[in-house]
Amino acid sequence: MSRVALKCPNCGSSNVVEDDLYAQSQSVCVDCGSVVSEGFLANDPVGEVYYSHSAPQSKRPCSNLIKGLQRVRALCRVLRVNSEIEKLSQTYFEQAYNHKSFINVSLTKKEALAGSCVLISCRMHDWPVTVGTIAYLIDTDSGAVGAVYQETLNTLNICIPTLTELAAEAKELTKRALALVELAADSWIVTGRRPVPIMIAATYLSWQSLQPTKLRLKMTLDKFCQMTKVDKNRPAMKRVTEIKEMLCKLGNEIPWEKQEITPNNVIQQVEDILSYRFALMRKALKSYEDSLKADIQQCDAKNKKTMRTKTAELKTSSKTGSSVLETERANNGACDEPNWGKRLLFAPPCVVNPKKRKRAPSNQINVTGDEEISDSEIDSYIRTHQEVREIAMTQKLLCQESDNL
Amino acid sequence: MDSNNDEALDIIVTNVVATFRTRCHLNLRTIALEGNNVIYKPEVGKVLMKLRKPKITASIWSSGKIICTGATSEVEAKLGARRLARCLQKLGFKVRFSAFKVVNVLAVCSMPFAVHLIDFTKNNRPIASYEPELHPAATYRIKHLKATIQVFSTGSITVTGPNVQNVATAVEQVYPLLFECQKPLCK
Repeated sequence: MSRVALKCPNCGSSNVVEDDLYAQSQSVCVDCGSVVSEGFLANDPVGEVYYSHSAPQSKRPCSNLIKGLQRVRALCRVLRVNSEIEKLSQTYFEQAYNHKSFINVSLTKKEALAGSCVLISCRMHDWPVTVGTIAYLIDTDSGAVGAVYQETLNTLNICIPTLTELAAEAKELTKRALALVELAADSWIVTGRRPVPIMIAATYLSWQSLQPTKLRLKMTLDKFCQMTKVDKNRPAMKRVTEIKEMLCKLGNEIPWEKQEITPNNVIQQVEDILSYRFALMRKALKSYEDSLKADIQQCDAKNKKTMRTKTAELKTSSKTGSSVLETERANNGACDEPNWGKRLLFAPPCVVNPKKRKRAPSNQINVTGDEEISDSEIDSYIRTHQEVREIAMTQKLLCQESDNL
Repeated sequence: MDSNNDEALDIIVTNVVATFRTRCHLNLRTIALEGNNVIYKPEVGKVLMKLRKPKITASIWSSGKIICTGATSEVEAKLGARRLARCLQKLGFKVRFSAFKVVNVLAVCSMPFAVHLIDFTKNNRPIASYEPELHPAATYRIKHLKATIQVFSTGSITVTGPNVQNVATAVEQVYPLLFECQKPLCK
Protein backbone atom coordinates (compact mmCIF):
# COMPACT_ATOMS: atom_id res chain seq x y z
CA MET A 1 0.00 0.00 0.00
CA SER A 2 2.66 2.43 -1.00
CA ARG A 3 1.95 5.63 -2.78
CA VAL A 4 3.88 5.18 -6.00
CA ALA A 5 2.27 7.72 -8.30
CA LEU A 6 0.86 11.07 -7.47
CA LYS A 7 -2.44 11.38 -9.23
CA CYS A 8 -4.86 9.19 -11.14
CA PRO A 9 -5.50 10.75 -14.54
CA ASN A 10 -9.11 9.61 -14.55
CA CYS A 11 -10.56 11.01 -11.36
CA GLY A 12 -7.67 13.09 -10.06
CA SER A 13 -7.48 11.24 -6.77
CA SER A 14 -4.06 10.80 -5.30
CA ASN A 15 -4.95 7.47 -3.76
CA VAL A 16 -2.97 5.25 -6.11
CA VAL A 17 -1.66 1.94 -4.89
CA GLU A 18 0.60 -0.60 -6.35
CA ASP A 19 -1.02 -3.93 -7.04
CA ASP A 20 0.70 -7.15 -7.88
CA LEU A 21 -2.31 -9.07 -9.06
CA TYR A 22 -0.81 -10.22 -12.29
CA ALA A 23 2.77 -10.99 -13.09
CA GLN A 24 3.33 -7.31 -13.68
CA SER A 25 3.03 -4.75 -11.01
CA GLN A 26 0.28 -2.28 -11.65
CA SER A 27 -0.61 1.02 -10.13
CA VAL A 28 -4.32 1.15 -9.47
CA CYS A 29 -6.39 4.08 -8.27
CA VAL A 30 -8.45 3.10 -5.22
CA ASP A 31 -11.33 5.51 -5.86
CA CYS A 32 -12.22 4.81 -9.50
CA GLY A 33 -10.39 1.54 -10.05
CA SER A 34 -8.63 2.55 -13.24
CA VAL A 35 -5.26 1.15 -13.85
CA VAL A 36 -2.93 4.10 -13.83
CA SER A 37 0.00 2.38 -15.30
CA GLU A 38 1.74 -0.88 -15.57
CA GLY A 39 5.07 -0.43 -14.03
CA PHE A 40 4.95 3.17 -13.04
CA LEU A 41 3.06 6.19 -14.07
CA ALA A 42 4.54 7.76 -17.07
CA ASN A 43 4.45 11.51 -16.78
CA ASP A 44 4.77 12.19 -20.46
CA PRO A 45 1.55 12.93 -22.25
CA VAL A 46 -0.16 9.97 -23.84
CA GLY A 47 0.94 10.66 -27.34
CA GLU A 48 2.06 7.81 -29.53
CA VAL A 49 -0.44 5.01 -29.62
CA TYR A 50 0.74 1.82 -31.26
CA TYR A 51 -1.84 -0.64 -32.48
CA SER A 52 0.19 -3.84 -32.87
CA HIS A 53 -2.20 -6.46 -34.23
CA SER A 54 -5.71 -5.10 -34.24
CA ALA A 55 -5.78 -2.59 -37.11
CA PRO A 56 -2.84 -2.97 -39.52
CA GLN A 57 -1.73 0.04 -41.47
CA SER A 58 -2.36 -0.46 -45.17
CA LYS A 59 1.33 -0.74 -45.90
CA ARG A 60 0.90 -4.47 -46.54
CA PRO A 61 -0.39 -5.38 -50.00
CA CYS A 62 -3.87 -6.78 -50.46
CA SER A 63 -4.14 -10.50 -49.70
CA ASN A 64 -5.85 -11.19 -53.01
CA LEU A 65 -2.92 -9.59 -54.77
CA ILE A 66 -0.55 -11.93 -52.95
CA LYS A 67 -2.75 -14.91 -53.80
CA GLY A 68 -2.90 -13.76 -57.39
CA LEU A 69 0.87 -13.50 -57.56
CA GLN A 70 1.16 -17.00 -56.16
CA ARG A 71 -1.30 -18.18 -58.80
CA VAL A 72 0.79 -16.53 -61.49
CA ARG A 73 3.88 -18.28 -60.17
CA ALA A 74 2.06 -21.62 -60.06
CA LEU A 75 0.88 -21.22 -63.66
CA CYS A 76 4.40 -20.41 -64.78
CA ARG A 77 5.76 -23.48 -63.02
CA VAL A 78 3.11 -25.72 -64.56
CA LEU A 79 3.87 -24.38 -68.04
CA ARG A 80 7.61 -24.65 -67.34
CA VAL A 81 8.45 -21.21 -68.69
CA ASN A 82 11.80 -19.61 -67.97
CA SER A 83 12.41 -17.16 -65.15
CA GLU A 84 12.23 -14.01 -67.32
CA ILE A 85 8.70 -14.81 -68.36
CA GLU A 86 7.80 -15.51 -64.74
CA LYS A 87 9.13 -12.17 -63.52
CA LEU A 88 7.56 -10.26 -66.37
CA SER A 89 4.16 -11.83 -65.74
CA GLN A 90 4.39 -10.97 -62.05
CA THR A 91 5.17 -7.32 -62.82
CA TYR A 92 2.29 -7.17 -65.30
CA PHE A 93 -0.07 -8.68 -62.76
CA GLU A 94 0.87 -6.14 -60.10
CA GLN A 95 0.44 -3.24 -62.51
CA ALA A 96 -2.86 -4.47 -63.83
CA TYR A 97 -4.26 -5.46 -60.42
CA ASN A 98 -3.93 -1.97 -59.02
CA HIS A 99 -5.50 -0.39 -62.08
CA LYS A 100 -9.06 0.81 -61.57
CA SER A 101 -10.49 -1.54 -64.18
CA PHE A 102 -9.34 -4.60 -62.26
CA ILE A 103 -9.33 -3.61 -58.62
CA ASN A 104 -13.01 -4.21 -57.91
CA VAL A 105 -13.53 -7.23 -60.10
CA SER A 106 -14.75 -10.72 -59.09
CA LEU A 107 -12.26 -13.35 -58.02
CA THR A 108 -12.77 -15.47 -61.15
CA LYS A 109 -11.92 -12.46 -63.25
CA LYS A 110 -8.82 -11.89 -61.15
CA GLU A 111 -7.78 -15.47 -61.84
CA ALA A 112 -8.36 -14.86 -65.53
CA LEU A 113 -6.23 -11.73 -65.16
CA ALA A 114 -3.42 -13.87 -63.73
CA GLY A 115 -3.72 -16.24 -66.67
CA SER A 116 -3.74 -13.46 -69.23
CA CYS A 117 -0.63 -11.86 -67.69
CA VAL A 118 1.17 -15.18 -68.10
CA LEU A 119 -0.15 -15.36 -71.67
CA ILE A 120 1.05 -11.84 -72.51
CA SER A 121 4.53 -12.41 -71.17
CA CYS A 122 4.79 -15.69 -73.06
CA ARG A 123 3.76 -13.93 -76.24
CA MET A 124 6.35 -11.20 -75.67
CA HIS A 125 9.05 -13.84 -75.46
CA ASP A 126 7.73 -15.86 -78.40
CA TRP A 127 6.83 -18.81 -76.19
CA PRO A 128 3.94 -20.74 -77.74
CA VAL A 129 1.10 -20.96 -75.24
CA THR A 130 -2.49 -20.94 -76.41
CA VAL A 131 -5.52 -19.28 -74.88
CA GLY A 132 -7.07 -22.73 -74.68
CA THR A 133 -4.31 -24.03 -72.40
CA ILE A 134 -4.66 -21.09 -70.03
CA ALA A 135 -8.44 -21.45 -69.98
CA TYR A 136 -8.06 -25.12 -69.16
CA LEU A 137 -5.60 -24.42 -66.34
CA ILE A 138 -7.80 -21.76 -64.82
CA ASP A 139 -11.00 -23.74 -65.46
CA THR A 140 -12.86 -20.95 -67.24
CA ASP A 141 -14.00 -20.74 -70.83
CA SER A 142 -11.62 -19.34 -73.40
CA GLY A 143 -13.98 -16.50 -74.33
CA ALA A 144 -13.76 -15.06 -70.81
CA VAL A 145 -9.98 -15.41 -70.81
CA GLY A 146 -9.85 -13.75 -74.21
CA ALA A 147 -11.95 -10.81 -73.06
CA VAL A 148 -9.76 -10.25 -70.00
CA TYR A 149 -6.70 -10.61 -72.21
CA GLN A 150 -7.88 -7.81 -74.52
CA GLU A 151 -8.74 -5.61 -71.55
CA THR A 152 -5.32 -6.18 -70.01
CA LEU A 153 -3.64 -5.27 -73.27
CA ASN A 154 -5.62 -2.03 -73.42
CA THR A 155 -4.98 -1.23 -69.75
CA LEU A 156 -1.26 -1.83 -69.82
CA ASN A 157 -0.88 -0.39 -73.35
CA ILE A 158 1.23 -3.26 -74.52
CA CYS A 159 2.00 -3.96 -78.13
CA ILE A 160 2.63 -7.60 -78.76
CA PRO A 161 4.74 -8.66 -81.74
CA THR A 162 1.70 -10.55 -82.90
CA LEU A 163 1.97 -13.59 -85.07
CA THR A 164 5.34 -13.39 -86.73
CA GLU A 165 5.99 -15.08 -90.04
CA LEU A 166 7.09 -18.21 -88.24
CA ALA A 167 3.75 -18.55 -86.54
CA ALA A 168 1.91 -18.16 -89.82
CA GLU A 169 4.17 -20.77 -91.32
CA ALA A 170 3.48 -23.01 -88.37
CA LYS A 171 -0.23 -22.97 -89.25
CA GLU A 172 0.42 -23.82 -92.86
CA LEU A 173 2.84 -26.49 -91.72
CA THR A 174 0.30 -28.13 -89.45
CA LYS A 175 -2.32 -28.11 -92.18
CA ARG A 176 0.01 -29.76 -94.60
CA ALA A 177 1.27 -32.31 -92.13
CA LEU A 178 -2.33 -33.21 -91.29
CA ALA A 179 -3.15 -33.73 -94.94
CA LEU A 180 -0.08 -35.94 -95.33
CA VAL A 181 -1.07 -38.03 -92.33
CA GLU A 182 -4.57 -38.45 -93.76
CA LEU A 183 -3.12 -39.62 -97.05
CA ALA A 184 -0.82 -41.99 -95.22
CA ALA A 185 -3.82 -43.38 -93.33
CA ASP A 186 -5.62 -44.01 -96.62
CA SER A 187 -2.66 -45.90 -98.00
CA TRP A 188 -2.09 -48.23 -95.06
CA ILE A 189 1.01 -46.55 -93.70
CA VAL A 190 -0.55 -45.52 -90.39
CA THR A 191 -2.45 -48.62 -89.32
CA GLY A 192 -0.68 -50.56 -86.61
CA ARG A 193 2.27 -48.22 -86.42
CA ARG A 194 3.41 -45.96 -83.60
CA PRO A 195 2.18 -42.40 -84.08
CA VAL A 196 5.31 -40.40 -83.18
CA PRO A 197 7.55 -41.46 -86.11
CA ILE A 198 4.69 -40.81 -88.52
CA MET A 199 4.22 -37.33 -87.08
CA ILE A 200 7.93 -36.59 -87.35
CA ALA A 201 7.99 -37.83 -90.95
CA ALA A 202 4.91 -35.82 -91.93
CA THR A 203 6.25 -32.62 -90.33
CA TYR A 204 9.64 -33.08 -92.01
CA LEU A 205 8.13 -33.58 -95.45
CA SER A 206 5.68 -30.69 -95.13
CA TRP A 207 8.46 -28.37 -93.92
CA GLN A 208 10.53 -29.33 -96.94
CA SER A 209 7.65 -28.89 -99.33
CA LEU A 210 6.61 -25.46 -97.99
CA GLN A 211 9.75 -23.95 -99.52
CA PRO A 212 11.59 -26.58 -101.54
CA THR A 213 14.86 -24.68 -101.64
CA LYS A 214 18.11 -26.56 -102.04
CA LEU A 215 18.98 -25.93 -98.43
CA ARG A 216 15.80 -27.50 -97.16
CA LEU A 217 15.93 -30.43 -99.53
CA LYS A 218 19.49 -31.20 -98.57
CA MET A 219 18.74 -31.24 -94.88
CA THR A 220 18.44 -34.80 -93.72
CA LEU A 221 15.92 -36.07 -91.20
CA ASP A 222 18.63 -36.31 -88.53
CA LYS A 223 19.62 -32.69 -88.91
CA PHE A 224 15.98 -31.66 -88.94
CA CYS A 225 15.44 -33.49 -85.65
CA GLN A 226 18.49 -31.75 -84.20
CA MET A 227 17.26 -28.36 -85.38
CA THR A 228 13.82 -28.85 -83.91
CA LYS A 229 15.20 -30.40 -80.72
CA VAL A 230 13.36 -33.65 -81.22
CA ASP A 231 14.86 -37.03 -80.36
CA LYS A 232 16.22 -39.06 -83.26
CA ASN A 233 13.86 -41.74 -84.38
CA ARG A 234 14.85 -44.59 -86.65
CA PRO A 235 11.36 -45.70 -87.72
CA ALA A 236 10.73 -42.10 -88.86
CA MET A 237 13.18 -42.59 -91.73
CA LYS A 238 11.29 -45.66 -92.91
CA ARG A 239 8.03 -43.75 -92.74
CA VAL A 240 9.56 -40.96 -94.78
CA THR A 241 10.47 -43.40 -97.56
CA GLU A 242 7.04 -45.02 -97.42
CA ILE A 243 5.23 -41.69 -97.61
CA LYS A 244 7.48 -40.60 -100.46
CA GLU A 245 6.69 -43.78 -102.41
CA MET A 246 2.99 -43.22 -101.90
CA LEU A 247 3.35 -39.60 -103.04
CA CYS A 248 5.23 -40.78 -106.16
CA LYS A 249 2.40 -43.12 -107.06
CA LEU A 250 -0.05 -40.24 -106.78
CA GLY A 251 2.28 -37.76 -108.42
CA ASN A 252 2.57 -39.89 -111.52
CA GLU A 253 -1.15 -39.34 -112.09
CA ILE A 254 -0.81 -35.55 -112.36
CA PRO A 255 -1.83 -34.79 -115.94
CA TRP A 256 0.40 -31.77 -116.43
CA GLU A 257 3.60 -33.44 -115.26
CA LYS A 258 5.58 -34.69 -118.22
CA GLN A 259 8.51 -36.06 -116.30
CA GLU A 260 8.56 -39.19 -114.23
CA ILE A 261 8.06 -38.55 -110.52
CA THR A 262 10.69 -40.24 -108.39
CA PRO A 263 11.28 -39.95 -104.64
CA ASN A 264 13.97 -37.39 -105.48
CA ASN A 265 11.77 -34.85 -107.18
CA VAL A 266 8.46 -35.56 -105.46
CA ILE A 267 8.84 -32.83 -102.80
CA GLN A 268 8.22 -30.04 -105.29
CA GLN A 269 4.97 -31.70 -106.31
CA VAL A 270 3.70 -32.27 -102.78
CA GLU A 271 1.71 -29.05 -102.75
CA ASP A 272 -0.17 -29.97 -105.93
CA ILE A 273 -0.64 -33.54 -104.81
CA LEU A 274 -2.17 -32.44 -101.50
CA SER A 275 -4.53 -29.94 -103.06
CA TYR A 276 -5.84 -32.50 -105.56
CA ARG A 277 -5.32 -35.59 -103.45
CA PHE A 278 -8.82 -37.04 -103.72
CA ALA A 279 -8.93 -36.83 -107.50
CA LEU A 280 -5.41 -38.20 -107.82
CA MET A 281 -6.18 -41.09 -105.50
CA ARG A 282 -9.20 -42.06 -107.54
CA LYS A 283 -7.22 -41.79 -110.75
CA ALA A 284 -4.37 -43.86 -109.38
CA LEU A 285 -6.66 -46.65 -108.18
CA LYS A 286 -8.48 -46.71 -111.48
CA SER A 287 -5.33 -46.83 -113.59
CA TYR A 288 -3.91 -49.58 -111.37
CA GLU A 289 -7.07 -51.64 -111.83
CA ASP A 290 -6.89 -51.13 -115.56
CA SER A 291 -3.28 -52.23 -115.68
CA LEU A 292 -4.14 -55.32 -113.62
CA LYS A 293 -6.96 -56.23 -116.00
CA ALA A 294 -4.61 -55.85 -118.94
CA ASP A 295 -2.16 -58.18 -117.20
CA ILE A 296 -4.84 -60.77 -116.54
CA GLN A 297 -5.92 -60.72 -120.16
CA GLN A 298 -2.35 -61.32 -121.23
CA CYS A 299 -2.06 -64.17 -118.76
CA ASP A 300 -5.28 -65.72 -120.04
CA ALA A 301 -4.02 -65.56 -123.56
CA LYS A 302 -0.82 -67.26 -122.48
CA ASN A 303 -2.71 -69.79 -120.38
CA LYS A 304 -4.91 -70.83 -123.24
CA LYS A 305 -1.89 -71.67 -125.34
CA THR A 306 -0.18 -73.63 -122.55
CA MET A 307 -3.44 -75.35 -121.59
CA ARG A 308 -3.92 -76.64 -125.08
CA THR A 309 -0.44 -78.13 -125.13
CA LYS A 310 -0.76 -79.54 -121.62
CA THR A 311 -4.14 -81.19 -122.12
CA ALA A 312 -2.77 -82.82 -125.18
CA GLU A 313 0.06 -84.18 -123.06
CA LEU A 314 -2.20 -85.21 -120.18
CA LYS A 315 -4.56 -87.13 -122.34
CA THR A 316 -1.74 -89.40 -123.15
CA SER A 317 -0.76 -89.93 -119.49
CA SER A 318 -2.92 -91.76 -116.93
CA LYS A 319 -3.04 -89.00 -114.27
CA THR A 320 -6.37 -88.07 -112.64
CA GLY A 321 -8.37 -84.84 -113.23
CA SER A 322 -7.22 -83.32 -109.94
CA SER A 323 -3.69 -82.91 -111.22
CA VAL A 324 -5.08 -80.99 -114.24
CA LEU A 325 -6.75 -78.59 -111.85
CA GLU A 326 -3.50 -78.25 -109.88
CA THR A 327 -1.54 -77.25 -112.94
CA GLU A 328 -4.27 -74.78 -113.90
CA ARG A 329 -4.12 -73.18 -110.47
CA ALA A 330 -0.33 -73.02 -110.58
CA ASN A 331 -0.44 -71.28 -113.93
CA ASN A 332 -3.03 -68.76 -112.78
CA GLY A 333 -1.05 -68.15 -109.63
CA ALA A 334 2.04 -67.31 -111.60
CA CYS A 335 0.14 -64.85 -113.74
CA ASP A 336 -2.04 -63.23 -111.07
CA GLU A 337 -0.03 -61.92 -108.13
CA PRO A 338 1.21 -64.40 -105.56
CA ASN A 339 -0.37 -62.46 -102.65
CA TRP A 340 -3.43 -60.20 -102.47
CA GLY A 341 -1.18 -57.31 -101.51
CA LYS A 342 -0.02 -56.87 -105.05
CA ARG A 343 -3.58 -56.90 -106.37
CA LEU A 344 -4.24 -53.51 -104.74
CA LEU A 345 -2.37 -50.27 -105.30
CA PHE A 346 -2.05 -49.56 -101.58
CA ALA A 347 -1.79 -52.46 -99.21
CA PRO A 348 -0.34 -52.86 -95.72
CA PRO A 349 3.44 -53.19 -95.93
CA CYS A 350 3.39 -56.48 -94.06
CA VAL A 351 1.39 -57.97 -96.94
CA VAL A 352 3.43 -56.36 -99.71
CA ASN A 353 6.70 -57.57 -98.22
CA PRO A 354 5.78 -60.81 -96.55
CA LYS A 355 8.39 -62.48 -94.42
CA LYS A 356 9.36 -65.67 -96.12
CA ARG A 357 9.24 -68.39 -93.58
CA LYS A 358 11.76 -71.09 -94.05
CA ARG A 359 9.98 -74.39 -93.91
CA ALA A 360 11.84 -77.48 -92.85
CA PRO A 361 11.81 -79.94 -95.73
CA SER A 362 8.78 -82.08 -95.13
CA ASN A 363 9.72 -85.70 -95.09
CA GLN A 364 7.41 -87.72 -97.15
CA ILE A 365 6.21 -90.49 -94.90
CA ASN A 366 4.53 -93.39 -96.59
CA VAL A 367 2.22 -95.10 -94.13
CA THR A 368 0.96 -98.52 -95.08
CA GLY A 369 -0.47 -99.91 -91.80
CA ASP A 370 1.66 -103.00 -91.54
CA GLU A 371 4.40 -101.42 -89.44
CA GLU A 372 5.75 -103.03 -86.29
CA ILE A 373 4.23 -101.72 -83.00
CA SER A 374 6.37 -102.43 -79.94
CA ASP A 375 4.85 -103.82 -76.68
CA SER A 376 5.70 -100.70 -74.65
CA GLU A 377 3.87 -98.62 -77.25
CA ILE A 378 0.80 -100.83 -76.94
CA ASP A 379 0.91 -100.56 -73.14
CA SER A 380 0.93 -96.77 -73.35
CA TYR A 381 -2.32 -96.87 -75.30
CA ILE A 382 -4.17 -99.17 -72.80
CA ARG A 383 -5.62 -97.60 -69.64
CA THR A 384 -4.45 -98.85 -66.26
CA HIS A 385 -6.94 -100.01 -63.56
CA GLN A 386 -6.31 -96.87 -61.48
CA GLU A 387 -7.17 -94.66 -64.43
CA VAL A 388 -10.35 -96.68 -65.10
CA ARG A 389 -11.53 -96.21 -61.49
CA GLU A 390 -10.83 -92.46 -61.54
CA ILE A 391 -12.68 -92.02 -64.81
CA ALA A 392 -15.71 -93.89 -63.43
CA MET A 393 -15.77 -91.69 -60.29
CA THR A 394 -15.57 -88.44 -62.25
CA GLN A 395 -18.34 -89.62 -64.55
CA LYS A 396 -20.54 -90.37 -61.53
CA LEU A 397 -19.84 -86.93 -60.06
CA LEU A 398 -20.66 -85.24 -63.34
CA CYS A 399 -23.95 -87.17 -63.59
CA GLN A 400 -24.87 -86.17 -60.02
CA GLU A 401 -24.17 -82.50 -60.73
CA SER A 402 -26.24 -82.53 -63.87
CA ASP A 403 -29.08 -84.23 -61.92
CA ASN A 404 -28.92 -81.58 -59.17
CA LEU A 405 -29.10 -78.79 -61.75
CA MET B 1 -19.45 6.31 -102.22
CA ASP B 2 -17.19 4.69 -104.82
CA SER B 3 -14.45 7.24 -105.02
CA ASN B 4 -11.91 4.51 -104.34
CA ASN B 5 -12.83 1.97 -106.96
CA ASP B 6 -14.33 1.60 -110.39
CA GLU B 7 -17.13 -0.79 -109.50
CA ALA B 8 -19.51 -0.01 -106.69
CA LEU B 9 -19.05 -1.90 -103.47
CA ASP B 10 -22.40 -3.13 -102.18
CA ILE B 11 -22.86 -2.25 -98.55
CA ILE B 12 -25.86 -4.27 -97.38
CA VAL B 13 -27.46 -3.11 -94.15
CA THR B 14 -28.68 -6.22 -92.37
CA ASN B 15 -29.87 -4.92 -89.00
CA VAL B 16 -30.94 -1.63 -87.48
CA VAL B 17 -31.57 -1.38 -83.74
CA ALA B 18 -33.64 1.53 -82.43
CA THR B 19 -35.17 2.52 -79.10
CA PHE B 20 -38.12 4.71 -78.20
CA ARG B 21 -40.31 5.49 -75.19
CA THR B 22 -44.07 5.38 -74.71
CA ARG B 23 -44.12 7.78 -71.77
CA CYS B 24 -46.52 5.55 -69.86
CA HIS B 25 -46.36 2.43 -67.79
CA LEU B 26 -47.24 -0.74 -69.71
CA ASN B 27 -48.93 -3.77 -68.16
CA LEU B 28 -47.02 -6.69 -69.61
CA ARG B 29 -49.66 -9.23 -68.62
CA THR B 30 -52.32 -7.40 -70.57
CA ILE B 31 -50.09 -7.17 -73.60
CA ALA B 32 -49.21 -10.86 -73.29
CA LEU B 33 -52.84 -11.96 -72.99
CA GLU B 34 -54.46 -9.67 -75.51
CA GLY B 35 -51.71 -8.80 -77.97
CA ASN B 36 -51.12 -10.54 -81.29
CA ASN B 37 -47.82 -12.30 -81.97
CA VAL B 38 -46.38 -11.79 -78.52
CA ILE B 39 -44.03 -13.84 -76.38
CA TYR B 40 -44.01 -13.14 -72.65
CA LYS B 41 -40.73 -13.65 -70.79
CA PRO B 42 -41.58 -13.15 -67.10
CA GLU B 43 -38.13 -14.28 -65.90
CA VAL B 44 -36.52 -11.36 -67.71
CA GLY B 45 -39.52 -9.06 -67.33
CA LYS B 46 -40.22 -8.23 -70.96
CA VAL B 47 -42.61 -9.02 -73.80
CA LEU B 48 -41.42 -9.70 -77.34
CA MET B 49 -43.76 -8.51 -80.04
CA LYS B 50 -43.06 -9.44 -83.65
CA LEU B 51 -44.41 -7.45 -86.53
CA ARG B 52 -44.79 -9.00 -89.95
CA LYS B 53 -44.37 -5.94 -92.11
CA PRO B 54 -41.81 -4.43 -91.60
CA LYS B 55 -40.20 -7.54 -90.13
CA ILE B 56 -39.36 -6.29 -86.67
CA THR B 57 -38.98 -7.79 -83.23
CA ALA B 58 -39.58 -5.43 -80.31
CA SER B 59 -38.69 -5.96 -76.64
CA ILE B 60 -41.22 -4.15 -74.51
CA TRP B 61 -40.48 -3.35 -70.90
CA SER B 62 -43.02 -2.34 -68.33
CA SER B 63 -41.35 1.05 -67.83
CA GLY B 64 -42.41 1.96 -71.34
CA LYS B 65 -39.01 1.65 -72.99
CA ILE B 66 -39.00 -0.37 -76.19
CA ILE B 67 -36.14 -1.70 -78.32
CA CYS B 68 -36.82 -2.52 -81.98
CA THR B 69 -34.51 -4.87 -83.86
CA GLY B 70 -34.54 -6.47 -87.29
CA ALA B 71 -35.22 -3.52 -89.57
CA THR B 72 -33.17 -3.15 -92.74
CA SER B 73 -33.07 0.65 -92.85
CA GLU B 74 -33.49 3.64 -90.56
CA VAL B 75 -36.75 4.64 -92.21
CA GLU B 76 -38.10 1.13 -91.82
CA ALA B 77 -37.10 1.14 -88.17
CA LYS B 78 -39.06 4.32 -87.56
CA LEU B 79 -42.07 2.95 -89.45
CA GLY B 80 -42.00 -0.25 -87.46
CA ALA B 81 -41.68 1.63 -84.19
CA ARG B 82 -44.65 3.81 -84.98
CA ARG B 83 -46.71 0.79 -85.99
CA LEU B 84 -45.79 -0.88 -82.74
CA ALA B 85 -46.83 2.17 -80.75
CA ARG B 86 -50.16 2.12 -82.61
CA CYS B 87 -50.62 -1.57 -81.67
CA LEU B 88 -50.05 -0.73 -78.04
CA GLN B 89 -52.48 2.18 -78.29
CA LYS B 90 -55.15 -0.17 -79.64
CA LEU B 91 -54.59 -2.41 -76.63
CA GLY B 92 -55.69 0.50 -74.49
CA PHE B 93 -52.51 2.15 -73.26
CA LYS B 94 -52.03 5.94 -73.46
CA VAL B 95 -48.99 5.71 -75.66
CA ARG B 96 -47.07 8.79 -76.79
CA PHE B 97 -44.33 8.08 -79.32
CA SER B 98 -41.18 9.87 -78.14
CA ALA B 99 -37.37 9.74 -78.02
CA PHE B 100 -36.93 7.60 -81.09
CA LYS B 101 -33.20 6.93 -81.62
CA VAL B 102 -31.32 4.56 -83.90
CA VAL B 103 -28.77 2.93 -81.64
CA ASN B 104 -26.90 0.47 -83.85
CA VAL B 105 -26.58 -0.34 -87.53
CA LEU B 106 -25.01 -3.58 -88.77
CA ALA B 107 -23.89 -3.87 -92.38
CA VAL B 108 -21.95 -6.42 -94.40
CA CYS B 109 -19.77 -5.83 -97.41
CA SER B 110 -17.76 -8.13 -99.62
CA MET B 111 -14.39 -7.14 -101.07
CA PRO B 112 -13.53 -8.52 -104.49
CA PHE B 113 -10.25 -9.82 -103.08
CA ALA B 114 -9.05 -11.91 -100.14
CA VAL B 115 -7.19 -10.18 -97.32
CA HIS B 116 -3.98 -11.26 -95.61
CA LEU B 117 -5.01 -10.63 -92.01
CA ILE B 118 -1.55 -10.83 -90.46
CA ASP B 119 -0.17 -8.10 -92.73
CA PHE B 120 -3.28 -6.01 -92.15
CA THR B 121 -2.84 -6.23 -88.37
CA LYS B 122 0.85 -5.47 -88.58
CA ASN B 123 0.31 -2.36 -90.71
CA ASN B 124 -2.40 -0.97 -88.45
CA ARG B 125 -0.89 -2.03 -85.16
CA PRO B 126 -2.78 -0.43 -82.29
CA ILE B 127 -6.10 0.09 -84.09
CA ALA B 128 -6.43 -3.43 -85.48
CA SER B 129 -6.30 -6.58 -83.37
CA TYR B 130 -6.28 -10.19 -84.49
CA GLU B 131 -6.51 -13.17 -82.15
CA PRO B 132 -7.08 -16.25 -84.29
CA GLU B 133 -7.54 -18.38 -81.19
CA LEU B 134 -10.54 -16.31 -80.15
CA HIS B 135 -12.18 -15.19 -83.41
CA PRO B 136 -11.23 -15.82 -87.04
CA ALA B 137 -11.62 -12.15 -88.00
CA ALA B 138 -9.42 -9.13 -87.38
CA THR B 139 -11.14 -6.25 -85.55
CA TYR B 140 -10.55 -2.64 -86.60
CA ARG B 141 -12.07 0.05 -84.39
CA ILE B 142 -12.45 3.62 -85.66
CA LYS B 143 -12.77 5.74 -82.52
CA HIS B 144 -13.99 9.01 -83.95
CA LEU B 145 -16.70 7.29 -85.97
CA LYS B 146 -17.46 4.85 -83.14
CA ALA B 147 -17.50 2.09 -85.73
CA THR B 148 -16.15 -1.47 -85.45
CA ILE B 149 -15.13 -3.39 -88.57
CA GLN B 150 -14.51 -7.12 -88.53
CA VAL B 151 -12.37 -8.27 -91.45
CA PHE B 152 -12.42 -11.92 -92.50
CA SER B 153 -9.71 -13.55 -94.55
CA THR B 154 -12.13 -14.20 -97.44
CA GLY B 155 -12.51 -10.43 -97.92
CA SER B 156 -15.95 -10.11 -96.35
CA ILE B 157 -16.31 -7.45 -93.70
CA THR B 158 -19.02 -6.64 -91.19
CA VAL B 159 -19.37 -3.06 -89.97
CA THR B 160 -21.30 -1.87 -86.92
CA GLY B 161 -21.84 1.80 -86.16
CA PRO B 162 -24.33 4.27 -84.68
CA ASN B 163 -25.93 5.17 -88.02
CA VAL B 164 -25.82 4.34 -91.70
CA GLN B 165 -23.75 7.37 -92.65
CA ASN B 166 -20.99 6.40 -90.20
CA VAL B 167 -21.01 2.86 -91.51
CA ALA B 168 -20.55 4.04 -95.09
CA THR B 169 -17.73 6.37 -94.08
CA ALA B 170 -16.06 3.54 -92.17
CA VAL B 171 -16.10 1.29 -95.22
CA GLU B 172 -14.62 4.06 -97.32
CA GLN B 173 -11.88 4.59 -94.77
CA VAL B 174 -10.92 0.97 -94.44
CA TYR B 175 -11.03 0.07 -98.13
CA PRO B 176 -7.53 1.39 -99.02
CA LEU B 177 -6.02 -0.35 -96.02
CA LEU B 178 -7.53 -3.64 -97.10
CA PHE B 179 -6.51 -3.11 -100.68
CA GLU B 180 -2.86 -2.88 -99.59
CA CYS B 181 -2.95 -6.23 -97.88
CA GLN B 182 -4.84 -8.25 -100.41
CA LYS B 183 -3.91 -11.84 -101.01
CA PRO B 184 -2.99 -12.96 -104.52
CA LEU B 185 -5.79 -14.96 -106.07
CA CYS B 186 -4.15 -18.27 -106.98
CA LYS B 187 -3.66 -19.47 -103.41
